[in-house]
Amino acid sequence: MKKTLLAAALFGLVVGSALAADTVKIAITGPFSGGSAPMGASMRDGAKLAIAEINAAGGIDVGGKKMKFEVIERDDEAKNDRGALIGQELAAMGDLSGVIGSVNTGVVLAGDKYLQEKGITKIITPAAGSASMTQWSKAATPDVSIFRFAAHDGIQAAMVVEEAINRKFTKVAILADSTNYGVSGRDDLLDQIKKQGGKLEVVSTEKFNIGDKDMTAQLLKAKSAGAQAILIWGIGPELAAVANGMAKIGMKDPLIGGWPLSMSNFIDNAGKNGDGTLMPQTFIEEPITPKAKAFIEAYHKTYNATRIPSPVSAAQGYDAVLLFAAAVKQAKSTDTHKIKEALEDLKDPVAGVITVWRHPFSKWNPTDEQTHEAFRRDQVVMGMVQDGHVVFANDADRTRLTKAAGGKGK
Amino acid sequence: MDFSLIAQMVVSGAFMGLVYALIAYGFQLTYATSKSINFGQGELVMVSAFFSLTLTDWGLPYWLMVPGGLLFGAAMGLVVERAAVRLALEQKSEGWILLSIILGLLFFSTAENIWGRDDRPFPTPIPADAFKFLGVDITPLEVSVAVGVLSIMGLIELFKRKTLLGKAFEAVSADRDAAELMGISATRTVMLSYGLSGLVAAVAGILVSPITTVGPTMASALILKAFSVAVVAGLDSGFGVVLVGIFLGALESLASFYLGSGWREAPGLVLLIMALAIRPTGIFGQAAIRKV
Amino acid sequence: MKGNWKRFFLVRGAEVAGLALLAAVPLAVTNPFALGLLTLLAIYGILLIGLDVTVGYLGQVNLGHAAFLGIGAYTAGLTVTTLGGGMPIALVLAPALCFILGGLLALPALRLEGPQFALATLSFSALATTIINEWESLTQGAQGLQVPRPPIFGVALDAPDFYWLCLALLALVWMTMRNLLASRWGRAFEALRDSPIATDAMGVGTYRHKVIAFALGSSLGGLAGGLYAFNFQYLQPQSFTYELMVILLLGVVLGGRKSLWGAFVGAAFIVLLPNLLSNRLLFQIFSAIGLTAAVFAAGRGLAKKTTQPFQALAPVVAMGLLVGGSLLVANTEDWRKAIFALMLFSVVVGLPEGIMGFAAQLLTRLFRIAPPSLPAPASLESVLPAWPATGEPLLELKHLKRHFGGVHAVDGISLTVRAGHVHGLIGPNGSGKSTAVNVISGLYAPSGGEVLLHGKALPEGSLFKVAGHGVARTFQNLQLFGELSAIDNVMVALKDVFRVPLPLILLGLADAEEQRARAAALALLDLVGLRDKARARAKDLTYGAQRFLEIARALARKPELLILDEPAAGLAHPDAAELVKIIRRVHDLGVTIILIEHHMDVVSELCDVVTVLDGGKIIAEGPPDTVKRNPKVIEAYLGAVVEEEKAA
Repeated sequence: MKKTLLAAALFGLVVGSALAADTVKIAITGPFSGGSAPMGASMRDGAKLAIAEINAAGGIDVGGKKMKFEVIERDDEAKNDRGALIGQELAAMGDLSGVIGSVNTGVVLAGDKYLQEKGITKIITPAAGSASMTQWSKAATPDVSIFRFAAHDGIQAAMVVEEAINRKFTKVAILADSTNYGVSGRDDLLDQIKKQGGKLEVVSTEKFNIGDKDMTAQLLKAKSAGAQAILIWGIGPELAAVANGMAKIGMKDPLIGGWPLSMSNFIDNAGKNGDGTLMPQTFIEEPITPKAKAFIEAYHKTYNATRIPSPVSAAQGYDAVLLFAAAVKQAKSTDTHKIKEALEDLKDPVAGVITVWRHPFSKWNPTDEQTHEAFRRDQVVMGMVQDGHVVFANDADRTRLTKAAGGKGK
Repeated sequence: MDFSLIAQMVVSGAFMGLVYALIAYGFQLTYATSKSINFGQGELVMVSAFFSLTLTDWGLPYWLMVPGGLLFGAAMGLVVERAAVRLALEQKSEGWILLSIILGLLFFSTAENIWGRDDRPFPTPIPADAFKFLGVDITPLEVSVAVGVLSIMGLIELFKRKTLLGKAFEAVSADRDAAELMGISATRTVMLSYGLSGLVAAVAGILVSPITTVGPTMASALILKAFSVAVVAGLDSGFGVVLVGIFLGALESLASFYLGSGWREAPGLVLLIMALAIRPTGIFGQAAIRKV
Repeated sequence: MKGNWKRFFLVRGAEVAGLALLAAVPLAVTNPFALGLLTLLAIYGILLIGLDVTVGYLGQVNLGHAAFLGIGAYTAGLTVTTLGGGMPIALVLAPALCFILGGLLALPALRLEGPQFALATLSFSALATTIINEWESLTQGAQGLQVPRPPIFGVALDAPDFYWLCLALLALVWMTMRNLLASRWGRAFEALRDSPIATDAMGVGTYRHKVIAFALGSSLGGLAGGLYAFNFQYLQPQSFTYELMVILLLGVVLGGRKSLWGAFVGAAFIVLLPNLLSNRLLFQIFSAIGLTAAVFAAGRGLAKKTTQPFQALAPVVAMGLLVGGSLLVANTEDWRKAIFALMLFSVVVGLPEGIMGFAAQLLTRLFRIAPPSLPAPASLESVLPAWPATGEPLLELKHLKRHFGGVHAVDGISLTVRAGHVHGLIGPNGSGKSTAVNVISGLYAPSGGEVLLHGKALPEGSLFKVAGHGVARTFQNLQLFGELSAIDNVMVALKDVFRVPLPLILLGLADAEEQRARAAALALLDLVGLRDKARARAKDLTYGAQRFLEIARALARKPELLILDEPAAGLAHPDAAELVKIIRRVHDLGVTIILIEHHMDVVSELCDVVTVLDGGKIIAEGPPDTVKRNPKVIEAYLGAVVEEEKAA
């Protein structure tokens, strides 16, 4: 009976793939459940919003024929082994044009190798851990089909350290979770502190696990070592536990850290203890440009939300789809290899929600993974949690971006 | 080492330990009548906490929400008894171990889908701002945990010792068939014990949620420690669980401070294995005599 | 004989055909995803066979198995990355380490039953995960460990090669486990599940076997773990959690306990499960089939009154929920855990023997496979030695005491049992007869005094050790190995017959010895008149037959001293008469017998000497007729005669 089941599954796969000839088949994968879910779900929802808009307008013009997007979703639950299985599954699909997604660095490390093996084009968004791309440059891989569309931790760590220095802190504590993301983030921070002149003394370095609720031990150690600020790298629920823990032991120091501090589950669980937290953001949920306004309104309406759970993920998911569609159009094909080449050399500008993208990627250079990284420092701003929302930490940034809505790219 | 730091760790750990003790107490209630425990008790705590949260979302004030949550917990306890335990008891088998695990899983999945997979804050009228007591920071919330745990345990102990129904507990546990012959419905007594156990789980959920937030996985962390407390103290040790719970909570806190937060589970687990190895009936429990 | 060959070909044939089919797959199918699934199937097959040892054969809920998968995986991975070893050494170290750890865990767990055992294994699992997670310098902790797949003897393993390796190991494990579980080891495992007390009393050390069973199952988990590491080539602690453990239990129970095919079917199910869930149509079909099966079974069970209402209806409700869910929910993936739970629930309640258990019954009826034929019984003389009935003191109790707190159950008893005698031990309820006998046989240690056999002290407080000194017993409350057949019950206890060492057993070279053992067991069954019930399950026998079976089993120990604790309790007159005949036959062989009984006729007919106990002390001793008329004895049983009544 089990053999019949297997045969039926294989049959289903074959039939399914045959039927999909007239669509651009794309997979969206990420954590739609668990502590990272707000990021994964927002990314998926933002991407699907773009897809729906494109499909409603008839689809993408692929060499004269209009083709619509067909979406496959896979929940990796932020678990590395799920990532590996999904990677294998997607790599085995013969007609996949591309993959968008992934939030967790560990999942990327576990699964992308299967896609890369087959040369399947993937746009990683919003996963920010440096290792997701440096794994290819470290191995000096000559040709890579993986791209990243997010502000990677190299940029974020630099901004966090800068912010701490600007606020005249001299002693900081580093708190990071035990996952690939947390560990590489911590390393990026230490690296940046050195690069920016060693002006910060790290008085305490602590770690915590996913699922930890009580951070009192780590915070007491930081407090007794004299930390003036806490630099933190982790994911929503645990970050909230830190914020609450700090309030409990009377630590009024600001929390500065990686972008997941903007997630709804951090903001809601930390409550007023989260106000004033600072994190790098590529998109603030404020209607400062016509495109941003339209996007925010469409998101709220379609998903019945008053607030986007992770604005950065949603906006990046949306823009990633636009870039992908542009590549398909330029390649005049649904073949994932041709799409990759087009993506490396996008000729026309793409008007996204975040900014106007001009030639975001270039041909892969094994010595420089920035060729497949879309974001640069000036597309990223500092965000701040205030009264349940993420706002611009510096008004100057808001002004700059409003002006740049028609102008700057890369 | 800084003494006030140690004291702080010990005290906050001890308060958490009381929650473990309360859940362990829930185990004792069902063990008392049927020599069975609900391996899915953690999920019962979680589901009751979520339900209480929903009651609050619907606008119920805190002091009305609490009895609502307790009733729900008791009802769920009855569900566990009917679906997972009764059949196995009637067949004098230990199938309830697996069945209660399964039911717990079902609760977990249902909760995930109804209430979502994220952790949510739990509202409470009790202020969370810490005050200093003998040099240690304590929150009124933590004090409420202590008050809640001790009062519910006290109430139920009174019930067990002073009422006839309470005596029925012991009768059914000692010899089910004989108790039935004496006119005590074993089934009803076991049902009552599971209902009480569910109620206790709900109390634990309501007390601990403001501190740890409510989420589908909140229980899995608590439950293993509650098991440790129950076994180390002895499954028939009554208030012994309080002492062991406080001890374990404090030990955990110190372990996470000195060894690293990842090791916080370790003392409880090691104690559990040691207790099972050296004295399976627990520190305060009574050794059983084998009869052939 | 023909039946035996038919059975052999059908069973082995199915195994070989299955293996060949699986091995041929990579030649036909190139889809790497499908190959990956089959590789996982082989790995999980090994894993579940290991789990079945504790869950199926020992009958315990083992919640630690996923941890052994993880420990094996990390051991193999670290052997390659840190120690620089190759795959073969990794695949040896992984099961070896798990065998040792499993044994160590079993040492505390060995004393426990039921929920405490489950808790002990659960704690171990959590502890193991914590250590792997926290020992970052060794394991890379939560970031995960990358594991390369080194070539074996210079040959790099691509996907089909690795698959064949896993399949080959599965076949090896299958063969050795089959041989092991069909041998005295398998019987011992099952015996200690059914009655640990009797297992010890029959000279089969519960301790030893439980530890070895658990260690063995864990080592198979470790082997599966090693293959797992080389399969995924990426490990992290979070993979080996409680959720995985529940899925493994689902596989074992659904597939069928105590069955290699069951483990395989269960593994197939687990591996295909995610695919089943992600394809809604497939899932709907599947749950519909399940519901139909549940309704059918419920109807049949209720009609035939073989199942009670809850047992019949609960699976229907669970399957119904599954069907309803499959039609209504937005995303079956979200409800994955609930789906497992409902499936597992239906199986545990409605189909406890699992798919293969059910299928096996069906197939044996379909193909009319008769159970293997039994050999002719050996002669009784060759099985039971004759003991010289010298009348010398064999067993002596000197001032023996056993107190339970304030209760002096045995309060200073001194008596002598002579070789070749039937020594009766009688007295009213609560007089200490069973307690005395429990002390002698080693269930309790004495509180004072001595027990001497042939003038030397018997070991105290250990049923197992006393059993090794030529003392065997039956129990007042039957302690049969209920799930085993009558002949297996006797074979467990057989002494001095099993000499083939373990490695040869694993290779399947113990058949001749098994046949001899069966013949010997049949001789004993013949003695008690149960020869034609040899294959019947002990719990299915009539009460009288069960009592006789216990005697046959005790005799398998070739005892010098046989203790019978109320063997006639509850027996109807014809059975009691039969019992007397049996005891006589045993007596004729020179076996010394201590007989506790209330049936005075039985006592009078059989006993050479009778000792009477009351309140823990001896109140009379002598030949049955004398003792019967002793006024103290009459008073102890019937109470004092009141003077007024006499006068009236």
